[in-house]
Amino acid sequence: MTLRLGLGIFSIQAVPQRPDHHVKLYADLLDDAELAESLGFDSIWLSEHHFWFDGYCPADLAAAGAILGRTSTLRVGTAVMLLPMHSVEKVAADATTVNRLGDGRLVLGVALGYRDAEFDGFGVRRKDRGKLMDSMLPRLADASRASDPPYVVYVGVATAVAAQRAGRLGLPLFADSTMNVAELEEMLATYNEAAAAAGVKPPAAHSLQRDVFVTEDRERDWRLLFPELRYMRRQYGGWSNPQEAGESTQAYLERLEGDIAAKLKNLIIGDEAHVAAELRRFAALGFDLIVCRSQFGNLPRPLLRRAVEGLGRVNAAVAR
Amino acid sequence: MRLGLGPISLAGATRSQLVALAEAAVAASFDAVWIAEARSDGVGGGVAAAAFLAQQVPIRVGAALDFGAYHPLYAAEDIAVADIASRGRIEVLLRGGSAEQRRLLLEALGGAHLRFDGESLRVPARLEANQPSPERLALNPRPLQPAVPVWVEDADESEARSLGFGIARSRRPNATAPPSVGRWPGMLLCPGDVAAEDLLHAAGHAAAYFLIGARTAEHVATAGRRLVGPLRMPGFPEWINKQ
Repeated sequence: MTLRLGLGIFSIQAVPQRPDHHVKLYADLLDDAELAESLGFDSIWLSEHHFWFDGYCPADLAAAGAILGRTSTLRVGTAVMLLPMHSVEKVAADATTVNRLGDGRLVLGVALGYRDAEFDGFGVRRKDRGKLMDSMLPRLADASRASDPPYVVYVGVATAVAAQRAGRLGLPLFADSTMNVAELEEMLATYNEAAAAAGVKPPAAHSLQRDVFVTEDRERDWRLLFPELRYMRRQYGGWSNPQEAGESTQAYLERLEGDIAAKLKNLIIGDEAHVAAELRRFAALGFDLIVCRSQFGNLPRPLLRRAVEGLGRVNAAVAR
Repeated sequence: MRLGLGPISLAGATRSQLVALAEAAVAASFDAVWIAEARSDGVGGGVAAAAFLAQQVPIRVGAALDFGAYHPLYAAEDIAVADIASRGRIEVLLRGGSAEQRRLLLEALGGAHLRFDGESLRVPARLEANQPSPERLALNPRPLQPAVPVWVEDADESEARSLGFGIARSRRPNATAPPSVGRWPGMLLCPGDVAAEDLLHAAGHAAAYFLIGARTAEHVATAGRRLVGPLRMPGFPEWINKQ
């Protein structure tokens, strides 16, 4: 199985430690897409969240349109679009156009979403998200196949229920970065059982998201990287576990700290040989596309550039 | 007077066709190129297409949206991201949709901390099931332009003046262009073969924005040669185009 690498995950945030104006951040994004294309990456990936103080990208198809306009061979993916908050008919109509203008280079990763404030902004009950996904996913899958050219829909998964949902439809997975090898194997088994029960032929391979950082000087770069990782993980952790009424800020930060350690356990960091070896393990499990998150919020540009160029060399090595 | 090409329907349009027309618009000195959704044919993505096109050409890019299909907050988010990525070159024409949708869109684009209680839209929804539910929400990131130019097709003039958007209409023989509203000139959607004197007559001496529906690169070049000079400067001497 040929292993392909995608570069991600671009959330285009004016993080508090580096609150660049978004006009610079989107210009940087387009430059990074050109760099990714020149380095031979399979794809670049965008994330979606809403109503956050640092301007986390809320419109990944609009950003994808800009990238597709700037590039010519690089695929552009959503990692992930929060489908239950959208109208599936609108998403399908939008994706068809964006994919056609991009000459078939759009990849649509979709998942549930989880932050109450976002659901509330769009008048959707968070607790309805599973039912909505059950209803929307088959329609989106049909629309993606009918599109000219067709586009791939990946289903973001971190739970058995989500794997079963994707399995029943035979849609490829986009596995969450927090899952370890054993959890991935278990999830793939669950997926295959659901596909078999539904009489659906599973796809040849799936995709996987990993936090990956290539460095020739781990000690130097870790000092720079860790505050960025901690911010990002606090943010995601905080969305899942909001501060409780009466809870002090200090106590809340300490509560989030445990989550940070857990979430960073799957980070792959090291030189090119180490990273290539780690990534090849996932190809053996059945993942032919690994979306490597090397951008965490808004890294210092020289730090990101070194990591992306290193990952570009890893990409060339694992493709052989 | 301003001159835009389009709106070019996205239905069936390929990358190469769209780019060729947009480049022809630049070469013919149009101020903007516009694309249009056709959601009745399942074709959306107007704002994303504008973001795409803005990477191809240096002029302004407009998107005609079938606004009834949109949640206004999503529309605002799409427009903001496209505007930023294009460095402030996005324009919008709304077709369909309700007055309530338009009001919420304009409030969001304006940067308000929203607490919107309309007849069919409530933002934040403040649903019991969503906890914590925010008291207010805002669009973030905001568009780069201080005010994204928004026109509404066949808009009621009092609503336009109240909310601050421009008015657009399809051209009819001998009819005048819509009135300007604030900074936004009236917009007139015209066929590709329209004559310069007809446009000048429609505008009177007021500023107006003409979208020209030329459908091939050759027609764009012809329309540009016929219209650009006379619209940009009164008393355009005919001999200039005869050389």
